[in-house]
Amino acid sequence: MGMWQRLTNLFRREHVDAEIEEELRAHLEMAAEDAVRAGMSETEARRTARLRFGNPVAMRERTAGADTALALEGIWRDVRHAVWQQRHSPAFTATAVVTLALGIGATTAIFTLIQQVMLRSLPVAHPEQLWRIGDSDQCCYSARYSQGDWNFFSWEAYKLFRAHTPAFQDLAAFQLGEGNAELGVRRAGSPAPAEARNGEYVSGNFFRTFGLSAWRGRLLTDADDQEGAPPVAVMRFHTWQEKYGSDPSVVGATFQINGHAFTMIGVAPPGFFGAKVDADNMPDFWLPLTAEPLIAGGATRLKDPRSGWLNLIGRVRPGTATRALEAQIQTELHQWLASHVPDMSPQEKPLWEKQTVHLTPGGAGVSPMREDYKGGLLLLLVCAVCVLLVACANIANLLLARGLKDRPQTAIRAALGASRARLVRKAMAESLTLSLFGAVAGIAVAYAGTRLILHLAFGPNTWVPVDAAPSIPVLLFALGISMMTGIVFGMAPAWMTSHAEPIEALRGANRSVGGHRGVFGTAGAQKTLVIVQVTISLVLLSAAAMLGQSLRNRAHQDFGFDPDGRYLVSIDPKLSNYTQEQLVLLFREIEGRLRAIPGVRMAGSALHAPLTGVWTHDILTEGQPEPGPNDDLNSGWNRVTPGFFETLGDRIVMGRAITDDDNANTRPVAVVNETFARKFFSNQNPIGKHFGPAPRKNAGTYEIVGVAADMNFSGSSLPVYFVPEAQTTHFDQANLESREVWSHALYTIVIQATGNHPDMQAQIKKAVADVDPNLLMYDVQSYSDVIHGGFSQEKMIAGLTWLFGAVGLMLAAVGLYGVTAYGVEQRTSEIGVRMALGANRANVIRMVLRAAFWQVGIGVALGIPAAIGAGWAIASQLFGVQPWNPVVLGLATLLLVLTALAAAAIPARRAAAVDPMRALRAE
Amino acid sequence: MARYDLQGSLDLLVLKTLSQRGKLHGYGIVLHIQRASDELLHVEEGSLYPALHRMEQSRWIASEWALTETGRRAKYYKLTAMGRRQLQETEANFEQLVKGVRTMLRYA
Repeated sequence: MGMWQRLTNLFRREHVDAEIEEELRAHLEMAAEDAVRAGMSETEARRTARLRFGNPVAMRERTAGADTALALEGIWRDVRHAVWQQRHSPAFTATAVVTLALGIGATTAIFTLIQQVMLRSLPVAHPEQLWRIGDSDQCCYSARYSQGDWNFFSWEAYKLFRAHTPAFQDLAAFQLGEGNAELGVRRAGSPAPAEARNGEYVSGNFFRTFGLSAWRGRLLTDADDQEGAPPVAVMRFHTWQEKYGSDPSVVGATFQINGHAFTMIGVAPPGFFGAKVDADNMPDFWLPLTAEPLIAGGATRLKDPRSGWLNLIGRVRPGTATRALEAQIQTELHQWLASHVPDMSPQEKPLWEKQTVHLTPGGAGVSPMREDYKGGLLLLLVCAVCVLLVACANIANLLLARGLKDRPQTAIRAALGASRARLVRKAMAESLTLSLFGAVAGIAVAYAGTRLILHLAFGPNTWVPVDAAPSIPVLLFALGISMMTGIVFGMAPAWMTSHAEPIEALRGANRSVGGHRGVFGTAGAQKTLVIVQVTISLVLLSAAAMLGQSLRNRAHQDFGFDPDGRYLVSIDPKLSNYTQEQLVLLFREIEGRLRAIPGVRMAGSALHAPLTGVWTHDILTEGQPEPGPNDDLNSGWNRVTPGFFETLGDRIVMGRAITDDDNANTRPVAVVNETFARKFFSNQNPIGKHFGPAPRKNAGTYEIVGVAADMNFSGSSLPVYFVPEAQTTHFDQANLESREVWSHALYTIVIQATGNHPDMQAQIKKAVADVDPNLLMYDVQSYSDVIHGGFSQEKMIAGLTWLFGAVGLMLAAVGLYGVTAYGVEQRTSEIGVRMALGANRANVIRMVLRAAFWQVGIGVALGIPAAIGAGWAIASQLFGVQPWNPVVLGLATLLLVLTALAAAAIPARRAAAVDPMRALRAE
Repeated sequence: MARYDLQGSLDLLVLKTLSQRGKLHGYGIVLHIQRASDELLHVEEGSLYPALHRMEQSRWIASEWALTETGRRAKYYKLTAMGRRQLQETEANFEQLVKGVRTMLRYA
C-alpha cells in the first residue's frame, strides 16, 4: 500500500473496514467449504469455523489497528466524537472549561507580570555583558561618604571608575530613580504653555554602552557630555509617538527646557525606556550629565563629590573575571574615599575604610519596581498556583465522576471486543479536547487578567514598561499541568474498567459501583481531592481576609490629621524659574486666592504634605555631646508657609507655630514634631534649643520655637522639622546649599474646606491658574483619594487574593457538590431500602450531609494549621494584623462551611426525595 | 547476537510460505503452514490478519484481489523484493536462535 493510498485511507475508513471484513468473510467461507467437503454438515462447519476464528469484531479492530495510519484516523475519530459528546453535555463542558480557564489564566497572568517585572532583560544588545556597580534596587540620592554598601555615586567617582577600569568596554552613568529631572518643556516658537516632562541625565556614552542606534537623528555622544557643549537632548520613542504624534520635524528642532534652549538631536529606538524600570518617573528625555547645572541652577549636584546621584552600569569585556573586577572597583572606591577624608564628618571618618561595593549583573537594569512589587507578586503567584491546583482537582473530580458514569458503556464496548488501547485512547481524546478548550479560554483570561492587574496597580493613564501579552512558557506550563490532570484522571476509570472482566463490570453496571474497587479507588480519590480543595480554599480565604483587614487598618490608621474636607494640590514652581523672593509672594497670593473660594476655610503650602513622602538627612543639636558613628541622627525636613499647621488641624503641643513674622529679617527658626523632640531632646524642653544639618559647624542654625503633634509623612512616625518658606540660610557645603535653593519651590498646597462642594477641585484649579497661568499644576485631589491612591498596591493584592479565594471556594463547592451528588446517585437503591425499612427524610439528609462533612471536616482540620502558617509567611505584608488571628480564621472557616453546606444540601434534598418504591423497582 | 521474538516467527512462516508458493490468500497460508509443518503448527487467524496487514504496511508483501479456483473473491498476497531480503535476514536470525537454544540445551 503506497503512501498515497494510506493517506486516502485516512478519509476512507469505512472502505477499509469493508475490505477487511470481506477478506475475513472469504476466509470463513473457504474454511467452511473445506469442512463440508470433509463431511461436516453445513451449519456445523460454519459454527466450527466461527469458533476457531474467535470474535470477528475484535479481529477487525486488531487488523485495522495494524495500520498505523489508521490508528491516526482512529484518534481523529475519537476527537470528533469527544467534541460531539462535549456539545451534548454543555453543563459538564462549561464547568470544566471555566475551571481550567480560571486556573490556567490566573497563573499565567501573574507569572507574566513576574517575568516582566522581575526577570526580563533590558531591550538592548547582549544584556548578559552588562554589569552594574551596586547591588540594591532601592532608591535614593545619598549625601554621605558612608553609604555602607555603595549603590549611588558622584560624578567625580564615576569619572574615576571610568578612567581607571579598562575591563569595562564602556561604563555608563545615569541619574537614579527618585528626584528625576522634572522638566517644563515647550517647543520653541509654540504658543502653548510649557508641559511637564520627565528628564534623566545620562553620560555621553550611555546609548553606546547599551549598543543602541537612533531611530531618528542621532543619540548622545561623549562630545555632547562636555562642559560648554551646546545643550542637546534625546527623546524616548514612546514620548515621540504619544506626545508629539511621531512628528519627524522634532529632530533638529529647538525646545525650551526650563527656559533653556536645547536641540533635540534624535529619537531613541522603540522599546527602549532607559536603564531603570519603574512605575512612574520614566524619562521622556535624556540630557547629558553636563546639562545638569544649567537646569538645576544653584541646586546642582554635578560637581559635589558628596552627592551620590548616579547609577553605574557598564559593558564588561568578554572573558573578564567579575570577581577580580569587583575587587578592583572596591580598591578604586577606597582610593577615591581616601582623597576626601578631610571633607568627611567625624561620624564618617572611622567608617570610610569599611565601605564595600558589589558588582551585580546589570542586564535587567535598575528596577525600583522590582523592589516594590517583589513581595506582592510572589504572594499572588502562590495564590494563583493554589487556584490552579484547586482547578486541577476539580477537573480530576469531574472526569472521574464522568468516567464512572460511563463505566457500563465502557464495559459493553470492552465486551464487544474494543481493544483496551482503543478505550483508553477514547478517554484521552475527551480529556485532551477539554484541556484545549480550557487553554484557549485560559489565554483570554490571562491577557485580560494581566491588563486588569496593571490597571489596578497603576491606574488607567500610566504607561509602565510592562507588556500584557501572556508569557508563552508559563502558558505552556499551566496547560501542561491541566492536560496531565485531564489525561491521568480521564483515563484512569477507562483503564480500570477495561482491566476488569467485562462480564463483571456489566453485572455491576446498574448497581452501586461503590463496591470493592470504589472504596479504595476512584471514590477515595474523589474524596481526597475534595479534602485538598477545602484545605487550599481555607488557606486562600484566610489570607484574603487578613490582607483585607490589613488594608482597612492601613487606610483608617491615625495619620495625625483628618483627611475629610482636605485637598492636595501638586505643583512645580521650579519649572517657571522664580527667584526665592518671588516664591514667597507667589505662595502668599495663591493662598489668598484659595481662601477667597466660598467654603474654603484655610490654605497652606509645604514642600511635603502628609503621606507624600519626605526627604531626610542627619542633624546635630547644639550643646550636646558628639554622637558616635553608629548613632541614628536621621530626621525628615520640610519647608512650610505659616498656614500649614492650621490647615491640617495639626495641634501645636508646645511653643508656637511658624508665623508671617518669621522672615528674611528675623532669626532662622524651626518647629519640630513630637517624635523629633523625643528623639533628640528626650525629656528636656526643646523650646529655645538649637540644631542644624550635619556637620557640626551648622549645629546652631535653627532655633526651635514650637513642637507640633506628629503627622504621618511617609508611612511611619518619623522625626520631622519644619522651617519657614520666607527664611533662607546659607551653607558652606555644596549639597546643603543646593538643597536650600531648590527647597523653596514648594510642591504642595493643602486646603481645608467645610461643607459639600462638588466643584471644589475645579475652583481650586482655576484659582491657582489665575495667579500664574504658566505655573505647572499636576493634580488637585481630595485627601481621601490621596490615601486610597497610596495603597493601590495593597488594594490590588488584597483584591486579587479575595478573587482567588472566591474562585477557590467556588471550585471547592462545585467539587463537593459533584462528589456528593454522585454518591447519592450511586446509593439511590440503598437509600430506597433504608426508607422502606423506616428511615425518614431527616435521617437520609443527615446521612448524606455526614458523608460530605467528613471531607469538609478533614479539609478544615488540615487547613487551619496551613492558614496559620500562611499568616506567618505573609506577616511582612500585614499591617496591624496578627498572623495568628482566630477571628479572621473563624470567619473564613464559617464562610467555607456555609458554602459547603449549600453545596451538599442540594444532593441531600434529592436523596430525601427518593421514592422508595421506585428505587427498589429499578433494582 | 541475533534479535528474535515470537512475532518474528509468524512473519518468518508467512514470508517463507509466500516465497515457496508465490501468490496466496490468508486461508491458503494457514493451510500451507499446517500441511508443510506436518500439522505441528496452527496459525491463529486472530494473529495472521493483523500480521499480514502489518507486513503490507512495511512493504514486505503486496496484495491484490483475485478469484479463487472456486470462483470466490479473495485477497491474494505475494512477496516483494523487500520482503525477499527480509526473509533472508529473518531466516538467518532464526537459524542463529535455534543454534543458540540448542547449544544451551545440550550444555545443560
